[in-house]
Amino acid sequence: MQADFDVIVVGGGHAGTEAALAAARSGARTLLITQNIETLGQMSCNPAIGGIGKSHLVKEIDALGGVMALAADYAGIHFRILNGRKGPAVRATRAQADRQRYKAFVRGALENQQNLSIFQQSVDDLIVEGDTVTGIVTDMGLRFSAATVVLTVGTFLGGLIHVGMDKRQGGRAGDAAANRLADRLREMPFNVDRLKTGTPPRIDGKTVDFTDLEEQPGDEPRPVMSYLSTIDVHPQQVSCFITHTNPVTHELIRAGLDRSPLYTGEIDGVGPRYCPSIEDKVVRFAEKNSHQIFIEPEGLGTTELYPNGISTSLPFDVQVALVRSIKGFENAHITRPGYAIEYDYFEPRDLKSTLETRHLKGLYFAGQINGTTGYEEAAAQGLIAGLNAARQARGESGWCPGRNEAYIGVLIDDLITMGTKEPYRIFTSRAEYRLILRQDNADRRLTPMGRELGLVDEVRWAKFNRKQDAITDWAGRMTSTFVQRGDSRIEQLLGQDMAREYSLIDLLRRPDVAIGALLTAADMDAPAVEVQEQIEIDCKYEGYIARQQGEIDRVQAQHNLAIPDDIDYLAIHGLSNEVSQKLQQVRPATIGQAGRISGITPAAISLLLIYLKKQQAAGMVRQTKQNPNAATKKLA
Amino acid sequence: MISNSTIVAQATPPGKGGIGIVRLSGPAVPEIAKALVGQLPKPRFATYTQFTDKDDQTIDQGLVIYFPGPASFTGEDVLELQGHGGPFVMTMLIERCLQLGARLARPGEFSERAFLNDKMDLSQAEAIADLIDSASSAAAKSAVRSLQGEFSKRIHTLVEQVTRLRMFVEAAIDFPEEEIDFLSDERVEAMLKSIIEEFNDLLKGAVQGSMLREGVSLVLVGRPNAGKSSLLNNLTGKELSIVTDIPGTTRDVIDDYLHLDGLPLRLIDTAGLRETHDQIEQEGVRRALAEISKADHLILIIDCEAHQGHLRTTLDALSAEVPLEIPTTIVLNKIDLADTWETELQPLPKNWIPLSAKTGQGVDVLRAHLKEALGYSANQEGSFIARTRHVHALRQANDAVLTGRARLLDQNAGELLAEELKICQQALGEITGTVTSDELLGRIFSSFCIGK
Repeated sequence: MQADFDVIVVGGGHAGTEAALAAARSGARTLLITQNIETLGQMSCNPAIGGIGKSHLVKEIDALGGVMALAADYAGIHFRILNGRKGPAVRATRAQADRQRYKAFVRGALENQQNLSIFQQSVDDLIVEGDTVTGIVTDMGLRFSAATVVLTVGTFLGGLIHVGMDKRQGGRAGDAAANRLADRLREMPFNVDRLKTGTPPRIDGKTVDFTDLEEQPGDEPRPVMSYLSTIDVHPQQVSCFITHTNPVTHELIRAGLDRSPLYTGEIDGVGPRYCPSIEDKVVRFAEKNSHQIFIEPEGLGTTELYPNGISTSLPFDVQVALVRSIKGFENAHITRPGYAIEYDYFEPRDLKSTLETRHLKGLYFAGQINGTTGYEEAAAQGLIAGLNAARQARGESGWCPGRNEAYIGVLIDDLITMGTKEPYRIFTSRAEYRLILRQDNADRRLTPMGRELGLVDEVRWAKFNRKQDAITDWAGRMTSTFVQRGDSRIEQLLGQDMAREYSLIDLLRRPDVAIGALLTAADMDAPAVEVQEQIEIDCKYEGYIARQQGEIDRVQAQHNLAIPDDIDYLAIHGLSNEVSQKLQQVRPATIGQAGRISGITPAAISLLLIYLKKQQAAGMVRQTKQNPNAATKKLA
Repeated sequence: MISNSTIVAQATPPGKGGIGIVRLSGPAVPEIAKALVGQLPKPRFATYTQFTDKDDQTIDQGLVIYFPGPASFTGEDVLELQGHGGPFVMTMLIERCLQLGARLARPGEFSERAFLNDKMDLSQAEAIADLIDSASSAAAKSAVRSLQGEFSKRIHTLVEQVTRLRMFVEAAIDFPEEEIDFLSDERVEAMLKSIIEEFNDLLKGAVQGSMLREGVSLVLVGRPNAGKSSLLNNLTGKELSIVTDIPGTTRDVIDDYLHLDGLPLRLIDTAGLRETHDQIEQEGVRRALAEISKADHLILIIDCEAHQGHLRTTLDALSAEVPLEIPTTIVLNKIDLADTWETELQPLPKNWIPLSAKTGQGVDVLRAHLKEALGYSANQEGSFIARTRHVHALRQANDAVLTGRARLLDQNAGELLAEELKICQQALGEITGTVTSDELLGRIFSSFCIGK
């Protein structure tokens, strides 16, 4: 019997929407099932997309045809370039987004996507046959069958919301938790644990006095998030503001700690170290008597504000007092209380790099269910899980970018190799090839592959090729254009005389020569800014890129060495117990991944290689007996 | 599996020999050969040539043989350099190969490659696994030994300084909105300056060998007044220990370095093992036990004169006090003053050496025995290699810091400083173990209040 769908995606957050879109884009008949169609594409926490490391992910999602960057451009009411004065590799883009516009854009994209159906129901159970998932059951008892299922249920599994000593079940303020599904999953062979995250109280802007607050306007020239966008799609732009906590605030917080669920032991889940609640900051960094708060607008059509930096689960009366102790907030009215939320997540080391679970075939996990935090991290996993669910439904092999190709690859490899003890967030320092994985070249790194995978449409592909051609063309022209000694405009630009003739590319290699000024001095017209940018960065980072590429080539050889799924690590001669157990737990897919597990020494890798070689030789003998013509993959 | 890194190691035993062989294997072999001897040698012919350094100065003269893969020991391109076998020349040759892009082979790595490239019988898999296992632990032991004392302390301080600096630099990059932009403040420059000074100092010390000690460690154990100090003095030819007739004279651990025909040995004399209530002496016994546990080889000394008539029981009692797994030589001392030892202890096992430390009788036999027992094991990584490894790592780390500082000061390129510091830390990681990005982030979160 044919299944109702190829792929069912459960959940309509950032992971779910990218998963459903990717699956459908690549040609799979897809169902997105959500508790509430009105919350598709909802930003549950702060109204911003991007940031350091995160905008790298957004641009990679964009390069693979995803929706996040386009939605951020459509909804972005304030754009900034972070690390603008540092090098291009660590530069990032952040957008404050109008929540309503963001949601509307995502919903529009879903509704207009071919092959994609949307349905509103709670999912209560998975249909499992043997060790394979074949569909889902809704709370009305409706059954839908599919070749593969992607779970992107965020904080809804066993969600428990804390405000002071008060706690109640919920997946997000105002939305019910998915407890029946959580109970069912707990009965299955997954390793489950609890994490915690939090959000600040929201404030009505009408009650804030901005007179003495520091205004932070967006950056000019204004960046865009998507490779397809121009700033013409941006709505009206607004400013953010900055204020600070003070000793009075901290005193109020300390006085309320006896009613803080974090400090009275009510919360078991582990929260992120890089996004602590304000009570955590005050306790752990007692010597600091002021903390920065970014006041972010929630949108153009609302006066609500998001005070970023005071996430808290203190009781409501303490929240009111602490907010009103802050400059500008003296008369502030809280529109929604801040809260902490605890939720289930599953050990990500039980996942394959396709994000399929090891325990149930055809079941994929993406987003916070894997222990990550952040819209961008969720969306990145969603895209990979949705794509691979669709590919599996068609009987095709999976795909995940490598650590050398994308931050998406770093994120997924970290999760499945090291697991996580706190909500995982991407940082540029997690990427060993940071100078190659830049936000400016995500399209050059990924769009050709995205095209091959069926994720990239004609419009994007044509635009990408025009840019690529222009880069090649202009880099060639600059290599073959020479300037002579005594060329006064060039020498003035260089600040010194030239000893001989130079090509423009040679001159561009000098640290203080900018491409725009160089082309002007050489009397050449100039290509588009994004083309100039690529030529200049390629040139300035040349030596470093070559070195990192050399390292990648060395590591790649190990990456191509697959480890069979059924390997018994305890049988390997010479491996210590500790090492065998670590390998047994992570079950790395390749020798390269094995080498990244902490505590795995080069000697252990050597022993593993020798064992595989011996096994493979023994296997070859067996296979030869069955079928003398069978091609065997050599360990070489 | 054709590997894509090129490895180098000394193929002959460490120490002074007539000829020493350095072997290379991997894809960069042809390129390294050209740089080292001027041209690619004719395959499988022994060519007499000069080995030159980067300034074209001759390091040594000798034979070079090029074995193109797959017809070679490892199945990859292999180069053999046969030079004069002194430790100094061998080190220079190896360092030159490192400069040209090779890396030091891990213990057992040549055999591992040979096996993976079908150059060895499958039945040898376990044997090779054992070899890698034992050679790795031997190498780890050498590394620990080479890292003892002052050098170790300073290297760890340096690693800590680099980690701290990276913490500032990475925090500035990953959290630009947190009011912690250290790249533009003078602290980073000051930290760089002090790290560079420390590198200079350490490198000077490491190269001169004043801090990185080399050699197999040999520990003398025996009851007080058994003649340990006399034997030490006799072997080294120096007056090191205070030699008197009062038991327990040697109250501290005394060591010295000696070359047994070029094989570097660290010879350690310990205070006698005995129960004592003298506090200073107790400390001596404690240190003696610590040295014994780290030794490569033990020499148990027994006084044949004092224990006449019950030599065997005394020996048994003494042996019971030292770890079984460490190879041991038993020295029967003061045979010039005793006469029953020959009848009491017949037949003498090979590792029992009768001698007189006072007259020198039998000391040559001991030397020959030690040379055989300690000298050669081609697959064991000695301290000598450990030292080369450390010096090479220090140089790489130092270069990276210097480049990083230039990038910051000349181009204001914080991200390139970060990159160089990462390279620096990886190099130091060869000595002390790596610092992962997650550990670094942990340091950042515990030092700075991050959290927008």
